[in-house]
Amino acid sequence: MNLIPVAVIVPLLAAALLLALEKVLPKRLADGFALLVAIFVAGLCLVISLETLDQPEAYWFGGWRIQNGVVLGIAFVADPVGAGVAAFAAILFSGTFLFAWGFFGDTGTRFHVLMLVLLAAMVGFCLTGDLFSFFVFFELMSVTAFALTAYKLESASLEGALSFTVVNTIGSFLMLAGIGLLYGRTDALNLAAIGGALDGHQADALVAMALVLILAALLIKAAAAPFHFWLADAHAVAPTPVSVIFSGIMVSIALFGAARLIWTAFAPLDQVAPAFRDLLLYLGTFSSLLGGLACLIQRHVKRLLAFSTISHVGIMLVGLAALTAPGLAGMLIYLVGHGLVKGALFMGAGILMAECQDIDEIRLRGRAKHLPLTGLTFAAGALLLAGLPLGAIHEGHHLISAAVEAQHPWIPLALALGSALTGGAVLRATGRIFLGLGPASNGEAEGPGKPEHETPGRPVWLMLIPILSFFAVACLAQGPAVTDTVLDLAQGFADHDAYGQLVLEGGSGAREPSSEGHAAPEAPSSPILPWVSVLLALLVAGLQLLRERLPAPLVWLSSLVLRPVFQGLDRLHNGRIGDYAAWLAIGLALLGGAFVLP
Amino acid sequence: MSRTARLVLFFAALLVAVPLGILGLIGLPSFGHHVSTYGDVVDAMGTDLRHVTNMVALVTFDVRGFDTLGEEFILFSAVTGVTMLLRGDRGEGTSADPVRIPHRRREGRSEAVTGTARWLGPMTLLFGIYVTLHGQLTPGGGFQGGSIIAAATLLIYLGEGYPAWRKIVRSVLLDLSEAAGVGIYLVAGLVPLLAGATYLENILPLGEVGSLLSGGLIPILNAGVALAVAGGFCSIAIEFLEETREPNEDET
Repeated sequence: MNLIPVAVIVPLLAAALLLALEKVLPKRLADGFALLVAIFVAGLCLVISLETLDQPEAYWFGGWRIQNGVVLGIAFVADPVGAGVAAFAAILFSGTFLFAWGFFGDTGTRFHVLMLVLLAAMVGFCLTGDLFSFFVFFELMSVTAFALTAYKLESASLEGALSFTVVNTIGSFLMLAGIGLLYGRTDALNLAAIGGALDGHQADALVAMALVLILAALLIKAAAAPFHFWLADAHAVAPTPVSVIFSGIMVSIALFGAARLIWTAFAPLDQVAPAFRDLLLYLGTFSSLLGGLACLIQRHVKRLLAFSTISHVGIMLVGLAALTAPGLAGMLIYLVGHGLVKGALFMGAGILMAECQDIDEIRLRGRAKHLPLTGLTFAAGALLLAGLPLGAIHEGHHLISAAVEAQHPWIPLALALGSALTGGAVLRATGRIFLGLGPASNGEAEGPGKPEHETPGRPVWLMLIPILSFFAVACLAQGPAVTDTVLDLAQGFADHDAYGQLVLEGGSGAREPSSEGHAAPEAPSSPILPWVSVLLALLVAGLQLLRERLPAPLVWLSSLVLRPVFQGLDRLHNGRIGDYAAWLAIGLALLGGAFVLP
Repeated sequence: MSRTARLVLFFAALLVAVPLGILGLIGLPSFGHHVSTYGDVVDAMGTDLRHVTNMVALVTFDVRGFDTLGEEFILFSAVTGVTMLLRGDRGEGTSADPVRIPHRRREGRSEAVTGTARWLGPMTLLFGIYVTLHGQLTPGGGFQGGSIIAAATLLIYLGEGYPAWRKIVRSVLLDLSEAAGVGIYLVAGLVPLLAGATYLENILPLGEVGSLLSGGLIPILNAGVALAVAGGFCSIAIEFLEETREPNEDET
C-alpha cells in the first residue's frame, strides 16, 4: 500500500471519528488520541521523506494520469523536502498536543477536530503537485485557523480573528484569481504541466499578473511587510497551543509553498526578474527590521513573540528571494530552527498564563521566580533568536546571509540587527518576569486591560517536556552533515527539469549525483557578526531594563530619536481592518510595479 | 490612520494595480474562443469509461475527486468552527422559541402555514434525495441535495414550531450525520487503496448508462457529501437560532 495518501487521510479520518464520538469519549481520551495521530503522521511523513531520498515519487489519485496530452487527475509529488516539511509540521503538532494536555477540558473535542484537519491540510499543502488542490489545502488551513483563533471568545480574540479572517480571505480571492488567469493561458492545473506550457515563453502581462496575485496571497499568509498586520493581532490572542502552530509552521509553510510554485511552475520564466527578486529581498529585510523594532515596545508577551515571528519570517523570505539552492537550503533549515524555538517560547508564555494567570510583562514583573526552568528556556530562546552561533537558526541564517552577501553586502548586517532586536526584547521580558529586574513601568505601549489566563492546574513538568525537547533538537540540528544534506536536497528541489520529467513523462526523477559538489558556502565573511548580534541583544535588553539608572541626557536623547519611531509603529498596528486592507493594496501595487520597472 | 489618508493610500495603490490588471486580462483568450481541451477530453471519454451522463460529476467526484474531499472538509471545518464559537451557556433545553421580540404579542401559528409546511416538507425532502441520487445522471449531486434536505427540515420548524423541530432534529444526530458523511467519503477512497488500487480509484461495477446505480463510486461519494452537507447546514441553523433563544428558567 502506498503511504503518500495515507498521511493526509489518517488525520482527516481521526477528526471525523472524534466529532462522531464527542458525547461518549472520556475526557482525556481525545487529548491522547490526537497526540497519537500526530506522532503517527510525523512518522509516516519521515518514512516518505526517507523513501524518496533518491527518487521523488508522483502519486496519481484515482489512477487518472495523462490522456491525449492533457493531465486529467490530481498528482501528489512526494519529495524529501516536501515530506520533510510535512513531518516537521506533524512533530510540532505532537509537541503541541502534549503541551495542551488538559487545556480544553470542558469544551468537547471540537478543538482537536479542527487541529487535526489543520494538520492534514498542511501535509496536503506540502505534498501536492496540483495548483488547484494547493489552493484547496491553503483554504482549508485558513478556515480551521480562523475558528481556532477566536476560540477564547473574548473581545480581543474576536477582533484578532476578524482581521485575520478578512485579510486572509482577500488573499484567497487573489490566489483564486491568479489561478484562473494562469488556467486561461496554460489550460493546465498540474504544476509540471504549467511549467511545461510556460517553457520557452517570455512572461507577458498575464503571466506576470498571475504570479503576482498568487505570490501576494502566499506573502499575506507568510505575513511579510506590508501584508503582515493581521499576524500580531491573531497570534497574540489565539489559545497558546494554537499560537505555537501558527508561529511555528503556518507562517513559514506559505514560503515553502511559494518556493514550490516558483521552482515547478514559474522557473522557465526569466521574469522572476532582477527587479522582482530585489523587491522580495527588500521586503524581507524590511520585515525583519520592522518586526524587531515593534518587538521592543510590546509588553503583552505573546504579542511580542508574534512581532518577532514577523521579523524572522522576513529573514526566511530573504533566503527564498535569493532564488538559489543555497538560499533555499538556508530558508529550510531556518524554518525548522525558528519553528522549534518560537514554538517553545510560545509554550513558555503559555506556562506563564497557566501558572501566573497573566501575560502582561509589567504586571508579571518578578512574579515567575518560582519557575526557574521556564525562565532559563526563555533566556536560551532569546539568545538563539538573537543569533547565538549554535543550532539550526544560526546554520540557516548563515546560509541565507551567504546567499545574498555578494550582491547586497548590507542585507546580512540588517538581518543581524533584526535578530538582535527580537532577541533583546525577549531577553528584556525574561529579566523582568523571571528576575524582577527593571522599572515597574517605562512608558511602553499599553498592555492588555485585564489579566489573560489559561486553564490553570496543568502539570508544569508535562508542559516542559515539549519545550525542552524542541530546544534540544533546535540546538543539535547543525553541523556540516546537516548543511550538506539540506543543500543537496534543496538542489534536487530546485531542479525544474527533473520535476517536469518525473510528473509528465513518468521519468525516474532521480538526480544525478552532482560531481562538482554543491556550491558550499564559504566560511562566513565575518564570523564575529553573530557575536556582535548577541552582544547587541544584551545591550538592548540591558538599556531597556536599566533605563532609570542611565544618565539623564542619554535618556532624553534616546527618547527624542526613538519615541516618534515607536509611536508611529504603534499607530500603524492599530487593529483597524480598513488600514490593513489599504496596506495590502499598496503591497499588491508594489509587487505588480516591480514587473513594469525596467 | 485617518479616513482620508487611508483612501489616498488605497487609491494610489489602485492607480498602479488597475492598469496592470487590465493589461493582464487582455492576455486572456478572447470571448467565445474555445480553450478547454480538458473539457473536450473528459466529454469524449466520460460515458465510455465511467458510464455517467453528467460530466461535471465525473470531474468533481472521480477525476478530481480528491479536491472535492478537501472542499467537503472546508465545509466540515467551517461548521465545526461555528458550533465551537457559538457554544453558549444555554444547555439543551428546547421549550422556548428563539427570535422573540419582547413586548410583541405572540401570534399563534396559522393553520395554513402548518398545513402547507406539512405538505411541502416531505416533498422537499424527497426532492433533496432525488437530486442526490441522480448526481451522476443530471445536474445536481450531494452538495445541492444536502442543502435541499436541510431546507426540508427547516419546514418542520416553520410548521410545528421550535420545540418540535429540536425534538426531531437532534444535534447529536446532526454531528453524527456530518461525521458519517465525511467518513463515507474517506473510507470509500480507502477501500480501493486496500484492494491494491490508488486512493479514490473507481473500481466498483459501473452499471448501465443512465440507471440510478451507474458510475461506480460516484453515487456513494454523493451520498456521503449529502449527509455531511445536510447535517452541517442544520447544525448551523440550530446554532444561529440558539443564539437568540432566551434560556428557560431551569437553565442557567
